[in-house]
Amino acid sequence: MGVGYLVRRTFGVMKENGPTHVLSIGTIAIAFFLFAFFLLLPLNFTSFVEAWGKKVQIILYLKDGVKQERIVQITGELQREAGIREARYISQRQAMESFQQDLAGYGGVLEGVEEEIFPASFEITLEERFRTPERIRALAARLDNIKEVDEVQYGGMWLERFSLFLYTLRWGAWILGGILVVIIVSVTANTVRLTLYNKKGEIEILKLIGATDTFVRLPFYLEGGLQGLLGAGGAVLVLFVLFHFFTLKVSPYVNLYFGQLRLHFLPPNLIAWILGIGVISGLLGGLFSLRKPSRI
Amino acid sequence: MIQFFQVYKTYQANIPALINISFKIEQGDFVFVTGPSGAGKTTLLKLIIRAERPDQGEILVNKRNVTRLKNSQIPALRREVGFVFQDFKLLNNKTVYDNIALVLRALGHKKREIPKRIRQVLRVVGLDERVLKQPPLKLSGGEQQRVAIARALINTPSIILADEPTGNLDPELTVEIMDLLGKVNNLGTTVVVATHDTSLVDKYQKRTIPLYKGKVAG
Repeated sequence: MGVGYLVRRTFGVMKENGPTHVLSIGTIAIAFFLFAFFLLLPLNFTSFVEAWGKKVQIILYLKDGVKQERIVQITGELQREAGIREARYISQRQAMESFQQDLAGYGGVLEGVEEEIFPASFEITLEERFRTPERIRALAARLDNIKEVDEVQYGGMWLERFSLFLYTLRWGAWILGGILVVIIVSVTANTVRLTLYNKKGEIEILKLIGATDTFVRLPFYLEGGLQGLLGAGGAVLVLFVLFHFFTLKVSPYVNLYFGQLRLHFLPPNLIAWILGIGVISGLLGGLFSLRKPSRI
Repeated sequence: MIQFFQVYKTYQANIPALINISFKIEQGDFVFVTGPSGAGKTTLLKLIIRAERPDQGEILVNKRNVTRLKNSQIPALRREVGFVFQDFKLLNNKTVYDNIALVLRALGHKKREIPKRIRQVLRVVGLDERVLKQPPLKLSGGEQQRVAIARALINTPSIILADEPTGNLDPELTVEIMDLLGKVNNLGTTVVVATHDTSLVDKYQKRTIPLYKGKVAG
């Protein structure tokens, strides 16, 4: 059987049952749109989290009265600690000066304030590979064990919760994907079943004249696969158009609040996955609709 | 060659359709299978192409044991047999050309070969090429049955099975179609016609397998 004839037959089958197929492809497209959207969301939030992660510092506030020799020792300990790029000691005086600088425009607000109320601290910047919420948390816990440390602060505590949220979202998307496969299989199976009903006469004749099972069945499998492909492709296309609109019109306003937010569309391998899931679940739908020999 | 050996066929609810049927049809024969409605004529034809399976007995078609064929071997059997129906079973959403070409396409014939073969078979069944572009419903009953015969003949089968081929036709067209089947038989094809029309059998004086309530009568 020629490929050209097979494709013509498949499209012929779909054309004859046009409105049903449009409805079916539309349903598949809506389902895939949701799936792709839930994949796109964590993808962009991840880059957002990474951008914020780069700014994360750990600050160790020291107890009062730590001697100079001990500070030198702690500096050495910190520099030997894996993941720490730089550990900068901020004395009480430096802390006060910095604070004064920050409030320079407010005149004599700090008049009479003494340096003793500002705790000495270490500002720690991290190596790039250590800027993940899990590693920051682990490091902060270790540093908290230093006897002279009064308090450990790291600005990215919310990042941890946000990362958990993204993790849930990502898994949620794949669970949604699983549900999606069931929906697509069922939608395509029902559409193919309708086509089979419409083509009953032709199938009967094909069987009687000695057409092989493959010849009879192949257009129906392809019909299912094509529905899945068109539905998934349509969903990616619509999402791309909306994404483009968002990056053009909305993201400048978002950047005002979040800095230079770089948005990414789904990478090619993920698009290929989406299309692949579409085709395979569509083919499965075709397969299910033809599994009873009496139907064909 | 078609040969039945003590064939039995019972449908659900224990309704016997054929009981102990044995006969032999040689290559090139013209045979009528006769009997009233429900006598088992259609079942007998269906058994020949393995559209039904006998409960007991053996059936040989062109030296193939039809009863023991695997499902994958059925298409090869059916390619040697052309089938003509009372209601023509033409696809009304396709042209006459596509109705006939469907067989060749399904059997993997080359695209360029198809128009030539269709013109040839059209001459055999006595139809004008102008009908090719028309849907079957635009043709008369006789013409539709000729198209159905053309479709059955296009793959040059060695056997033609016709189930009440003139059942929907008036006497004049009946003669035309029977003459056409006679012509096909003269070309060497075995023709088996199932009919309840005794006048047809009387007129053509061919060998008859009479069925009555699932048994060979007489």
